[in-house]
Amino acid sequence: MRSWNVLVLLLANAPTLLLAGNACEQESGTVRPDPQQYYMILAGQTDVFYDHSGPTFVMLQRTAADETDVGAFGIYAGERKQPVFGPVPTNVYERFVSESRKPADVLLRLSISKPQYDRALAVMQSWERRVRENALLYPDIAMDNILLVKQATEELNRCGETIAGYELDWGLQDDISEHNVASRIPYEYFRELARLNAARHVADAKQTLE
Amino acid sequence: MATSMKRRELFSSLAGIGASPASPQACTGASLIPNVPLRTHEDTEVRFYEDLVKGRQVIINMMYAHCEEFCPAITSRLVEIHQALASRMGRDLFMYSITVKPQEDDPAALHAFARMHGALLPGWTFLTGDAYDIETLRFALFRHDHIKFDLDPASHTAKLRIINDAINRWVHVPPMASKMTVLQHISWADPPKSFEERLEDNRKLQLAIDKEHALYGYRKIV
Repeated sequence: MRSWNVLVLLLANAPTLLLAGNACEQESGTVRPDPQQYYMILAGQTDVFYDHSGPTFVMLQRTAADETDVGAFGIYAGERKQPVFGPVPTNVYERFVSESRKPADVLLRLSISKPQYDRALAVMQSWERRVRENALLYPDIAMDNILLVKQATEELNRCGETIAGYELDWGLQDDISEHNVASRIPYEYFRELARLNAARHVADAKQTLE
Repeated sequence: MATSMKRRELFSSLAGIGASPASPQACTGASLIPNVPLRTHEDTEVRFYEDLVKGRQVIINMMYAHCEEFCPAITSRLVEIHQALASRMGRDLFMYSITVKPQEDDPAALHAFARMHGALLPGWTFLTGDAYDIETLRFALFRHDHIKFDLDPASHTAKLRIINDAINRWVHVPPMASKMTVLQHISWADPPKSFEERLEDNRKLQLAIDKEHALYGYRKIV
């Protein structure tokens, strides 16, 4: 039976991974066979909170023959259905991933490389530290979540375009930020990434180690 | 015929803000300004809030040593400001220049930058630190609440932040505004003056206005 390690603990205990200037060298170098598989999962819901927004979080998963590291970070529904920003409790993300979802829900599972996984993990570690130290960058957690999902997903294309991206920058070309309140932007961003990368989505059945 | 009426005060306190200089406002600086560890250009470790800001009036900008676009011009503007306020610098007014590229700017690099720009002056400290802490500080002091601007490294040049922590007053001004405008904004965060001092300031200002009218026929500079 495969064991499940909760990545939240890994986040808290592991030394911070620094993004070195030569972070892309590892990715562009010779690829050695890796028995492990890495995934980034973007999950989003709508119409859960008072303002019609919903939980939106990034999950990372590393699977090997007999174990899995998994963790999620972002906004989820607290005990009183209030939005909470931080490491997503295991039961919350497991329920979201395993249960049947509403048509409006977003779930995009991308197979990623180890360097991509390491860089995204470093981003999430940094945010986990910010939550722990009460050092969030914005007074509004919706803004912090926008920054988190932007930074984590943009790490996938840091060393070359591996997914079809969307520039979430509040600039003139950014329709998502133009037409949505902050709390809804990560959901719409995930929905757009899911549309752009539908062919890259790894369905449950395709996860060889599921 | 006179009738007696019961009279009730709608407001129990007659004290307004500023009515009593002896009762200071609550200071919330400690909750707003990160107390992150930093290193000065003299390679001394400091805590940003506790050691540099608490109870003080400070002028803060962000820069980096190899910035060739705006930073040298802003630093020379700050040298002018320092000269204009030299009698206060290091006494009741302090300047802090924080690098946005701590990976590149160690204390020695900041010291060299300050020397090159004639900025090794009393009360002016250049600061570096851990990238995570600098980011925390940058957002706390210079955040635009706009993702594009907040992530743009060039946006660090857009503001001088002036804080008087003792009276919890925050002001900002574009560093490339005129020297007079920057000085005026700094004065807005000055400690409150006594009634007599304000009377004297107004008397001098009126004299200067009258003089300009006599010279030019209109108010030119004052």
